[in-house]
Amino acid sequence: MEAEDPGLPPKGGMDLPQDGVDLPEQKISPGSMDTGEDEPSVALDEQVELPGAQNNGPLSVAGGKGDVQEELTETREESSEKDLSDSASTDNTLEDSSEFSRPMVMDGGPPGEEEVAVQPRPPTHRDEDVTAESWRAHRKHIFVLSEAGKPIYSRYGNEEALSSTMGVMMALVSFIQSGDNSIRSIYSDDRKLVFVQQGPLVLVSVSSTLQSEQQLRQELLYVYYQIISMLTQASITRIFERKKNYDLRRLLTGSEKILDRLLNLVESDPCFLLGAVRCLPLQPALRDSLGSLLQKAITPNLVFSILVARSQLVTTVQEKTVIDDCRLEPTDLHLLLNLIGATSAFQTGEIWTPICLPRFNPDCYFYAYISYLDADCTVCLILLSTDKESFYSVSDCKKRIEEGMRTQSYLQALSSGLKSPSYSVAMVGAPDLRHFMYKPLDIPDNYRQLPQFTSPELEGPYCSESERHRLFDLYHYLHSRIHSTARPLRLIYHVAEKETLLAWVTSKFELYTCFSPLVTKAGAINVLTKLLRWIKKEEDRLFIRYPPKYSTTPNPGKGSKGPRTEGAENGFFGGL
Amino acid sequence: MKPDGKVVLLGDMNVGKTSLLHRYMERRFQGTVSTVGGAFFLKQWGPHHISLWDTAGREQFHGLGSMYCRGAAAVILTYDVTNLQSIVELEDRFLALTDTANADCIFAVVGNKVDLTDSCALLPEAEDERPSEKPASGCVPTKVKRQVHADDAIALYKKILKYRMLDEKDVPAAEKMCFETSAKTGYMVDHLFETVFDMVVPTILEQKAEGPSQIVDLNNCKTAKNTQRSCCR
Ligand SMILES: Nc1nc2c(ncn2[C@@H]2O[C@H](COP(=O)(O)OP(=O)(O)OP(=O)(O)O)[C@@H](O)[C@H]2O)c(=O)[nH]1
Ligand SMILES: [Mg+2]
Repeated sequence: MEAEDPGLPPKGGMDLPQDGVDLPEQKISPGSMDTGEDEPSVALDEQVELPGAQNNGPLSVAGGKGDVQEELTETREESSEKDLSDSASTDNTLEDSSEFSRPMVMDGGPPGEEEVAVQPRPPTHRDEDVTAESWRAHRKHIFVLSEAGKPIYSRYGNEEALSSTMGVMMALVSFIQSGDNSIRSIYSDDRKLVFVQQGPLVLVSVSSTLQSEQQLRQELLYVYYQIISMLTQASITRIFERKKNYDLRRLLTGSEKILDRLLNLVESDPCFLLGAVRCLPLQPALRDSLGSLLQKAITPNLVFSILVARSQLVTTVQEKTVIDDCRLEPTDLHLLLNLIGATSAFQTGEIWTPICLPRFNPDCYFYAYISYLDADCTVCLILLSTDKESFYSVSDCKKRIEEGMRTQSYLQALSSGLKSPSYSVAMVGAPDLRHFMYKPLDIPDNYRQLPQFTSPELEGPYCSESERHRLFDLYHYLHSRIHSTARPLRLIYHVAEKETLLAWVTSKFELYTCFSPLVTKAGAINVLTKLLRWIKKEEDRLFIRYPPKYSTTPNPGKGSKGPRTEGAENGFFGGL
Repeated sequence: MKPDGKVVLLGDMNVGKTSLLHRYMERRFQGTVSTVGGAFFLKQWGPHHISLWDTAGREQFHGLGSMYCRGAAAVILTYDVTNLQSIVELEDRFLALTDTANADCIFAVVGNKVDLTDSCALLPEAEDERPSEKPASGCVPTKVKRQVHADDAIALYKKILKYRMLDEKDVPAAEKMCFETSAKTGYMVDHLFETVFDMVVPTILEQKAEGPSQIVDLNNCKTAKNTQRSCCR
C-alpha cells in the first residue's frame, strides 16, 4: 500500500544543492519548521524540466546540480493536459520496468515491449465492444469479476450486459497466468488498464485520468477491501473454493451503492490519496473532553469508539489490549465511513451490523454499533465490539455518551462548528492560494495515531465537478511524482494551464498547494511561508495532537477466550 | 436497560420493511437504502418499551436473522404483493430464523406495496375511512399485476403455525394476522403495528410478573382499541 505509507522517499540522489536559495520561512519563522539537516531547500534556479518537450526522455534530469527535482511546465493551451498525461505515463513506464512485470501493449506489439504506446492509434481492442459511445467516454471504469469470468460489479452499465467484455478480461488474465506470469497493466494512447487479482477476484480499472498505475492499483485495492469489509476474505475464499462459478452478486446485491459511492469519493476526497484521516477542526479542549467521554463509556469487548461529524473524525478511543498489537488503519476508517454514509443516511434507529476491517484483519467481523446523536444526522457515534451479543450493553454506552454530551452541551458546541463548511482557504490570508492539502508527519505519539490531513473547502473555480476532477487529476499527478518508486521527488513546482501547483514533502509534512496561475515562484514561496505559519498556529485545532488515553474495558477482549475460539464468525481474535 | 418486548421485521430485500417502519415511526415515506445488518428502534407503548428490529433482507446478512430474532415476542413477516418470490422466500428462507424467538411468539404476515395494485389504497392514510375494502372492479386499472393474494398469506400463516407446532385455537386467527399495507400511502401501517403491539403486551406483562418484585400497573396499559378491526377479507 505504497500510497498510504507516509514514509519519505529514499534519500538517494536527494543531496541538497550547495547554492540553493533557502526557503524564506526558515529565516522568518523558525518555530514553524524544523531546520534540521534533512530539511530540503528549494533551488530556485533555472534548472527546469520540461515534460512537454518532445525529446525529453523520462529520465531527463534537471541539470548537473539539480538534485532537488523541480519541474516547470509552461503554460500552454490545449496541449497541456495531453502532455501532462504523457509525462505521467512515461513516469509509470519507469516504475514498471524497474519493478513490475512488463506492461503489455495491446496492438499486437511484442508482449513485454517496454515502451509505452503513446502514439495515437485506433482503439481496435475496443471495437468489439457493442456498447454506446457515451458509456465508453466515462473517465474511469471499474470492473470486478470472479476468476471464472463471472461479472460481479461494473461501475457503469449492467454487469450482465458486460459479461462478454469481462470474459475477455478474464481471458487476458488467464492467458498471462498460463505463462506463469501475471498481467498488471495495459497502456493505450488515452487509457490505462490496470489489473489487480486478489484471491478469487479480479479487479480491472480502465482509466483516462492522469493517475499513475500505482494510484489506480491502490483504488482497486480500496474496492477489494470494501467488498471484504462486507463479506470477509475468508468467506469469499471459502465460497469460491466450494463453487468456482458462484455468482457473488447474490451476496452483493444492494451493496452496489456502497461501491459506487466509494469510487466517487476516491475521485473527490483526498483522504484516499493521502492515506490519512480528515479531522473536524475543533477546540482542543472540547476534543479532549469528548475523548474522555468515549474513554469512560465502555463495556467488555468494546474495542474502538469513534466519533465523527460529517465524515470528519472528531476523536477516537481504542481498547488497550488491542492497540498493543495494532492500530486502526485509515483505510479501515474510510471504508467504514463510506459504508455508513452509503447505507444509513438519515437513519433514526441504532444500527447493529457485522463489519470487517480488512486492514486490521481481513477474515473476521466486528460488530458495529452505529447511531446518530443529532436530529440532522451529522454527528455519528461508531462503537466496534467483538461480541455479537453485546448490542444492549453497547447501546448503553451510547446512552452514557449522549448523556455526558447533553449535560456539558458538547453537542451544541460540535454542531455550531458544523454549520459552516470546514473552513475557507481565505483564513490563511494569502490571496494567491486557492487550495491545499497538508498531511503532518510529526504528530506526537505518531505510532498510535491515525495519519491525518487537513484541507480547506474547495471554492472559487473548483465548484463544478469537472473543475474539481481537473484539480484532483493534478494533485494525483503531483502525488505520483512525489511517490514515484523509480525517481521520487521532494519538491515539484508545476505550472498548469489554469493554475500553478507546488508539492513538497519533508520529514515533517507532505504538502500540496494550488495557486492562481499568476503567482510567481517567489510569490508562491512567500505564500508557503505564510501557510506553514498559519497551520502551526492552528494545528491544535486542525489535528488530534494528543490522542485520548487507551480505554481499558472492565473485562478486556484479551481475557475473553470466547471470540477467539469461535473464529471468523465472531470478532478479530479468530484470525490473530 | 433491556426493553420489555421485542418485535422483529423479517422479509426479503426490497419488500419495504424499512419503509414500513419509517412510515410508522416518522410518519413519512422517503427514499431508503438497503439495510445493513439490523436497525434498532425503541417504541414507547403505554408503560412499556418495545424494541423494534428492522433487519436486512439481503442474503449477505442471512446468517444474522436468528440473532435478531432471539427472544422475539412477535415477528412480522413481510412480502411484496407484486412479487411472488418474496412470499416464497418467507417460507423457504426466513421462517427457520424464527426458531430463536419466544415459544409463544406472535406472527404477522404483511403484504406491502398494495398501492401499486390497489387504487383504493392510493389515498393517503386511507385506513381511517375504510379499514377493509376490496378494490372494486370500478377502481382505476392496476399499475402492476398483483402476484400475491390474501389467500396466499393466510395459507402461509397456517404453514407457520404448523412449523411452530401451534394449535390454531391457541393463537390469533389468520384473518386477523394477515395484513396488506402500503408504506407509501400509509395504508394500514398504523393498524399493523398497533395490533402487533397490543398483542405483545400480555407477553410483556407475563414476563414482568415472573421477574422479581415487578409491579405492573395494569391501569396504564394501552387498551387494544384497534384490534377489533379486521384487515383481510
Ligand atoms: N410503491 C411502493 N413502494 C414501496 C413501498 N414500500 C417500500 N417501497 C419501495 O421499495 C423499495 C425498498 O424499500 P425498503 O423499505 O428499503 O425495503 P427493505 O425491505 O427495507 O429492504 P432491505 O433493507 O434491503 O431488506 C424502496 O425503493 C421503497 O421506496 C410501498 O408501500 N409502495
Ligand atoms: Mg431495509
